[in-house]
Amino acid sequence: MAEFEYVAAGSVDEAVALLGDGPTGALAVAGGTDLLPQIRDGIVSGDRLVDVAAISGMADIVESESGTTIGAAATIADIAAHPAVRRDYTVLAEASEGLATPQIRNVGTLGGNLNQRPRCWYYRNPLIPCLKKGGDRCYALAGTTKYLCVTGGDRCFIVHPSDLAVALTVLDARVEISGPGGQRDLPVSDFFAGPGRDVAKENVLGVGELVTGVRLPVLPGYSSVYLKVREREAGDFALVSVAAAVAIVKSQEGRAVISGPRVALGGVAPVPYRAIEVEEYLDGLELSEVDVSRAGGLTLPAATPLPQNGYKIPMAKDLVRRALDQLLAGLS
Amino acid sequence: MNLNVAGNVAGKSVVRRDLREKLTGEALYSADIKLPGMLHGQILRSPHPHADIIGIDTSAAERLPGVRAVLTPFDVPSSRLGPDLAILDTRVRFVGDEVAAVAADTLELARRALDLIRVDYRTLPHVLDPAEALKPEAVAIHQGGNLAGGEPLSLERGDVEEGFGRADLVLEEEFFIPTHSAAPLEARAALAAWDHSPDADLTLWKTSRGVHVDRAALATAFDLPVARVRVVGPHLGGGYGNKDESRLAAVAAELARRADRPVRIEYSREDEFIAGRVRHAAHFRLKAGFKSGGAVAALHATGILDTGAYLASGSGVARRAGQGILYLYHCPNVKYEARLVYTNRPVAGSYRALGAPQGHFALESLMDRAAEELRLDPLDFRLMNRVRPEGQPGQRTTPPDQVVDSQPLEGGIPFSSNGLEQCLELGADAFGWRKPSASPGSDPAVKRGRGMSMMVYRGGPGSPSSAEVRIERSGAIKLVTGLMDVGEGATTVLPQIAAEILGANYEQVETVFADTQRTPDAPITAGSTATFSTGTAVVQAAQELRQQLMELASSGLEVPVQELEAALGEIFVKNDPSRRMALADVAGRMEVESLTASATVVPGSTDAIVNSFGAHFVEVEVDTGTGRVRVVRYVAAHDSGRIINPRLALNQAEGAISQMLGFALSEELVTDAATGVTLNPGYLEHKSPTILDYPDIRVIFADVVDPVGPLGAKALGEVPSVGVAPAVANAIYDAVGVRLNRLPFTPDRVLSALAAQTDRDA
Repeated sequence: MAEFEYVAAGSVDEAVALLGDGPTGALAVAGGTDLLPQIRDGIVSGDRLVDVAAISGMADIVESESGTTIGAAATIADIAAHPAVRRDYTVLAEASEGLATPQIRNVGTLGGNLNQRPRCWYYRNPLIPCLKKGGDRCYALAGTTKYLCVTGGDRCFIVHPSDLAVALTVLDARVEISGPGGQRDLPVSDFFAGPGRDVAKENVLGVGELVTGVRLPVLPGYSSVYLKVREREAGDFALVSVAAAVAIVKSQEGRAVISGPRVALGGVAPVPYRAIEVEEYLDGLELSEVDVSRAGGLTLPAATPLPQNGYKIPMAKDLVRRALDQLLAGLS
Repeated sequence: MNLNVAGNVAGKSVVRRDLREKLTGEALYSADIKLPGMLHGQILRSPHPHADIIGIDTSAAERLPGVRAVLTPFDVPSSRLGPDLAILDTRVRFVGDEVAAVAADTLELARRALDLIRVDYRTLPHVLDPAEALKPEAVAIHQGGNLAGGEPLSLERGDVEEGFGRADLVLEEEFFIPTHSAAPLEARAALAAWDHSPDADLTLWKTSRGVHVDRAALATAFDLPVARVRVVGPHLGGGYGNKDESRLAAVAAELARRADRPVRIEYSREDEFIAGRVRHAAHFRLKAGFKSGGAVAALHATGILDTGAYLASGSGVARRAGQGILYLYHCPNVKYEARLVYTNRPVAGSYRALGAPQGHFALESLMDRAAEELRLDPLDFRLMNRVRPEGQPGQRTTPPDQVVDSQPLEGGIPFSSNGLEQCLELGADAFGWRKPSASPGSDPAVKRGRGMSMMVYRGGPGSPSSAEVRIERSGAIKLVTGLMDVGEGATTVLPQIAAEILGANYEQVETVFADTQRTPDAPITAGSTATFSTGTAVVQAAQELRQQLMELASSGLEVPVQELEAALGEIFVKNDPSRRMALADVAGRMEVESLTASATVVPGSTDAIVNSFGAHFVEVEVDTGTGRVRVVRYVAAHDSGRIINPRLALNQAEGAISQMLGFALSEELVTDAATGVTLNPGYLEHKSPTILDYPDIRVIFADVVDPVGPLGAKALGEVPSVGVAPAVANAIYDAVGVRLNRLPFTPDRVLSALAAQTDRDA
């Protein structure tokens, strides 16, 4: 039986203060769809929950000349439905509307989605003292490895479960953070960190720090797409997902050329995985020259699968091929 | 029986009796019932797969204010709930096994008290793999070893060795079926109260599949006369044959006895997955021999079924897993051997069609391969080899005056009715099996394929069954049976049968079900027997009452009984329907307050096997890039005799197929080999499908009226679950050329099989 104090913060400053001075740890909460089950199961504990959902402006989605800012307490459903997101950031809209179930999307938030904990069955089971919970080893390695990562594992082999993180990676988003030391912001790819850095965490958020929102730059000429494979059509996390974004520019000869391509994968690594080799192949290619199968084949060149998850490699290659096929078909 | 059925009520889709209550939320389920002074119980579960409990310190829990009773294996009554099951045991046999229990003023207090109990375990080696458990050096989970029942099941008709000797083609394959959960929306719950009613010492409201069977178990556990225990079955939120008696009610009752207050325990979602009842995991090796023309010469299956830590319906499961192998194909030489094995895993029990889906997966997958090797269309192969209405070849050994088992081994006994051919033809027509496939979609990575299966299922005749039909002078009609409606609709279908026979309107028939103090003894609602078995008793009782009403009407209308007819609430003169009396007016002529007719029947036939049949046809898309299998459309044709309520029958078929598409494509309850911990006890990770995963399902019922069944009805509830997995497997093979012998067909399995195929071809 977990017991804790519940405080609804009125402002970011108040939230940061409340998060910072809990004697055994305070936790930020908004929708609670991931945190509360973990507290119930005794997987995480804190003596205080700081509700940040009602902070003024925290749920806003604001367009400006420099881009779009999404507050951490914006719900997934709000993000999926927002006209600016749907118009300029297709990959984010698609990642949002295909996530979990309507019930989760209606209460789950951006901040909660980025800070959600891994779905690894061993981490989630209260009976198993896995590495991430302060135990001495990864129990999954000798057991069910089907859902684990194929690259980037280091003693712990989780995959990051967030769909939005993968989409935001190809949008060059920056994560805005407030904490005891003031405000800072980071590229989304620097926000997440694999188990090699700190096996107990999945990102670089410090004690008392709070994600307040995400800033999306203006991306002129970009098109984007999000695809994922899961074992059922709703209420399931991705086995593999891919976010792809490309801009088309006119070459000096007047031909359509790919510029600044970005491809990221979910479900394959402890952090959103950037498919650099695919991006390098695509960059500067004329549309008519693109071989999407070849591009797909360049995905995950150095993967080291575990006994049950080798299937993720051909799945990822195929999904990249499909994403590019779909994206480029819409452009030519 | 062969009644002429007017079909005024039977055969109509009357609205199910509990629909309004359930839709409006008025329906009370076991966990909704509250009693004054009621306490909340919680169960402490084992973190170890196999261990002895050396000691338990409950002092801190007992000191917590508001804790009213604490129960440990060291102070429970010594009576047993089953041959291998104590009320609580000092040995735990799976992660999730019951260790101790508390009752407290609130749920929160009860949970806090659990945290304060200290248990000293001495861990033992554990074994999760049934094949390992059978080895002589394996740790024994129960006295007498890990082979449940002490010896294997072995059934043979004819001589398989001789049959294989004469075969021109012999095929042999292995099949693997994992555990999955029925995942009912309602978790198990029990509320126990002592001295609640004047005529019972102990009253229980519980999630049940048979209140009288539960009563007997609890009476034994507490050394009470059966009549002093009352068990009531409130509405049930998903049964699937699954909610049998376990320790739950006994623990609640013992807590209530000690606290001298009513105690309710409700399982959590995780408890339901881990400590409920799962489907038996199974491994089959199946060998089949064929003549060059395609006839089946011999079939031999050996199976291992995993019962988990305790036995629950296991022997029935092992036997039913063999029915298809022994009886679906016309074959003189068949043999089925099965071993039921204890492991340190969650307890397997009866779950929709018991072992039949497992056995049919092996059989109907291998037969699909056989058809291909014999260069026969899978439909033609089955039409050619299906068991005929006259049954299997051979000599009857069942004594002539004995009711025939619904799953005999011997040949020489005909079926009461056998619509298998009709199912195959009707299903194939509706599906368009003989027409070319629809063109695949535009994505070349997505392949389409079609598959089929056929099935046989016992059911129908079950245990002796009773019913009472009563009419009061006011005209009120009551149908009384002890049966539990587990969601399938017996509280609708049985009064339909009564109304049809009595000539009453459906709405006139009130029902009293599932209360041991108010109803006659009833069997469990399992094995698809309720409509057939209790229905037979309802027919008999209703006919007797009808006769009495006819006699009353005869004197009222001054016409001989044989000139009267009854329908839709009235009795009238056949040749002059204007001369009529309402049933209520007829009842008003009674000299007694009420007339009751009751019947107890041994359902079945001494001449024939009563079985149900079906044929399924499915089209799938296999994405060769992602390994995803999508079921595009599904056609199911069934012979369940006369359908009493078409809408409920459709719901049963759609429900069974939907449930088993999860079994085929996504569901698996996984227990970790090293720790024995069940890893995915929830809807999210057990991967029960959602509505988005389901195809359009078309259900067709064959035009069969069974001469034995009540109003011509046979079994249905479980039957459509039997053939789903092999039909899907065969469609996947048709699409991409790989045979998947391991369930479920998840993307990783499909991609691995495709990669292995590429390696083979290279």
